[in-house]
Amino acid sequence: MSTAAPAPPRHPLDGLPQLADYQDQPAQQPAGAVGKDAYLRLGFARRGERTVLADLHRRAPLLVQQALYFDEGMPDLPCVFMISTSGGILQGDRYAVDITLDPGAQAHVTTQAATKIQQMDANYATMVQDITLAAGSYLEFLPDPIIPYRDSRYASRTRLCVAADATALYAEILLPGRKHHRDGEIFAYRLYSAAVQGVRPDGRELFAENLVIEPGTWPVDAPGLMGGYHVLANAILMTPPETAARVAAQAPVGHTGTGDDRTATGISVLPNDAGLIYKVLGMETEPVRAQVRAFWSVVRREVTGNEVPDNFRWR
Amino acid sequence: MTTLAEGPEGLAAVTGVLRALQFGDSMFPVGGFSFSNGVETALAEGTVHDAVTLSRWVRAATRNAATGDGVAVLHAHRAALRGDLDGVAAADRAVYVRKLNEETRTMTVRTGRKLAEAAARIVPGPMVDGWLERISTGQTAGCYPAGLGVSGVALGLAETDVFAMHQYSLAATMVGAAVRLLPLHHLAAQEVLFEVNGHCAGDYQTARGRELADMSGFAPQVDVLAAVHVRAHVRMFMN
Repeated sequence: MSTAAPAPPRHPLDGLPQLADYQDQPAQQPAGAVGKDAYLRLGFARRGERTVLADLHRRAPLLVQQALYFDEGMPDLPCVFMISTSGGILQGDRYAVDITLDPGAQAHVTTQAATKIQQMDANYATMVQDITLAAGSYLEFLPDPIIPYRDSRYASRTRLCVAADATALYAEILLPGRKHHRDGEIFAYRLYSAAVQGVRPDGRELFAENLVIEPGTWPVDAPGLMGGYHVLANAILMTPPETAARVAAQAPVGHTGTGDDRTATGISVLPNDAGLIYKVLGMETEPVRAQVRAFWSVVRREVTGNEVPDNFRWR
Repeated sequence: MTTLAEGPEGLAAVTGVLRALQFGDSMFPVGGFSFSNGVETALAEGTVHDAVTLSRWVRAATRNAATGDGVAVLHAHRAALRGDLDGVAAADRAVYVRKLNEETRTMTVRTGRKLAEAAARIVPGPMVDGWLERISTGQTAGCYPAGLGVSGVALGLAETDVFAMHQYSLAATMVGAAVRLLPLHHLAAQEVLFEVNGHCAGDYQTARGRELADMSGFAPQVDVLAAVHVRAHVRMFMN
């Protein structure tokens, strides 16, 4: 019997070139160990007028309790909060989330709080998301912002497999760090990388985006990159071309606000009739969120005919 | 440093430099001069306003191109070298699906097609002819980086040369657009270009081992400004 510690399991993103410099093992627990390999499987199915969370599988530290029906604009829409029972994302974490919508199903998925990527001194954390939408289904995937702390290293890969007549709205808001923590922690992380790929159910690739941000090797605030802005929202809308055209005509773009309230917003048509991509740059979270919310409102109205209700005062 | 071209290899290098100069020139008729690669909007927005800000903007673009399109140039060149048009097409698809803005898509497809047509006329052969045939019949988009890889092999150029041509033509196009839009001395513009070109060898080191699936970038301000530019009324360049 060997006394050597077993090799940590290989995860799908372990071979990424941007992770090559961070292959050391955490002192606490090996990468991907029990308690660090969170998994969520959410399956939504249509039952009459309503969509239900028909399939739920969870492994700590990610947790989903049940679908709630609190959206006054769409009372039949199940709203699911992804909860972390950990203090955030830690070095060596290997998370995976699978979300499936059956034909005609509708769902709203978000988080209970911002995703905090904790400070790291070894290894990295990864997230693999597979989101699959069957014919005629509709998903709003709108998590709270992501906050990468000092020296954190994080890589995610999201695959959006969306039927030609379905609609997926997928939005991420990335903060520069704990901006107002002590003297300010702005772009002090080592690596944030986020790959999103859009495919059809037959496997055909429609578009791909692979953002790799390494503030230590390249000045992320430089013109052309963040260009002096601190917050980035990246919203991808996969939807049929006619819907995309109506959304693009109404979505707010250009410049808003001044000083810390200023934002710059652009919308582009994705290749292969996949839909739209909507990017917002800003100094603070709330003005950027407001732009994303305005975009979301147009999307929901054009796709479902319903309004996005007023924000909860505590969110 | 050698001063004499020794033997057939040295003489081939002389011709190679000329081929690279000709096909990599910003005036080579692929239509690159009608695109500013975001410089026009960056100027209108005040993001670029002098030689220093221009230099940072162009350098950000070439760095982004190295880990993105530059990787596809290398893969297309290697595929063309082994006579593998399907491999070139894979590099082409990787570029096309990553062009998330209408104008950057239009630009790469238009210039890529013109480059393939030029190569098929000037240096015809099974690979360039086959590549143009695939573009003409709609089997592949024909983006510029893929066309450059195929043309580079037809011209007998090494992958380092073709990578350099790609990076140079991007930088030269942007600097050329800035000269026409900014009060910028021609020599100051050449200084910018010279400085940016100094990073190309390091960028090649970064790009050479990457797979197509690893192609990456990060330029959200370029993306946002490009999207704003699509809707601008008064403009001189296509992008």
